[in-house]
Amino acid sequence: MELADKAVGCFLSAFSLTIFIYYTFWVIILPFVESDHFIHGYFLPQEFAILIPVFAGVALLSILCVFVGYVMLKSKAKKKKQT
Amino acid sequence: MIIIEPGSHLRAREASLFERSESPKETKQGNIPKIQGSQAPHLSSPHPPLRSLRRSRYTSRNNQHIQMKHILKIMALVVAISAIWISLLETSVIPRSYTWLLPVYLIMSLGCYGLLMVGVGLMLFPTCPQEAVLLQKDIGEAKEFLKGKGVDVGSD
Repeated sequence: MELADKAVGCFLSAFSLTIFIYYTFWVIILPFVESDHFIHGYFLPQEFAILIPVFAGVALLSILCVFVGYVMLKSKAKKKKQT
Repeated sequence: MIIIEPGSHLRAREASLFERSESPKETKQGNIPKIQGSQAPHLSSPHPPLRSLRRSRYTSRNNQHIQMKHILKIMALVVAISAIWISLLETSVIPRSYTWLLPVYLIMSLGCYGLLMVGVGLMLFPTCPQEAVLLQKDIGEAKEFLKGKGVDVGSD
């Protein structure tokens, strides 16, 4: 049981660290690197650096709203069935 | 050296619970069963005493006040940071193409930091395996005791 917890925790922290390092590189370091360096091939064009987080945030918010609405509807249906 | 038997406190509690529950029919109100200890102190009187009602209203209003101040603090911080950022942009210290990059970067790093803290907390969570074994033994003993007394323990 605790091994599964530790594995999930390790995966989460590694994932967040990778995302953070990649994003830092993309936004802060890459503009100061000259245009024909080979590293530019590993990163998407810079407009995506804004689009992807904004898109992910909007998706997260909408999923939350859908979930909250679903739970509210289900509780109202249950209350109507009880009375 | 003091040797504590692990299930003894549970047995004492179950015994007292059983003695209490055998006299519900003798209360004056008839149908109201007697509940253990701290869960229902005011069953005999119709309202809670006035002093505690006033105190609960005061603390809830105080709580709202504290939350209001906290939100105002956070909003003031956000307004200050955005004012600095917009002034930096307007006076051409930073090129216009960077307008959205820094705020989105800060929000992303905040999310990453939160995720990292959750992961680290999960990894460093303190478990007590000996206590877990003792707890399982206590649960088994309690179930057997209750089953012996005739109480339905439920899932198994």
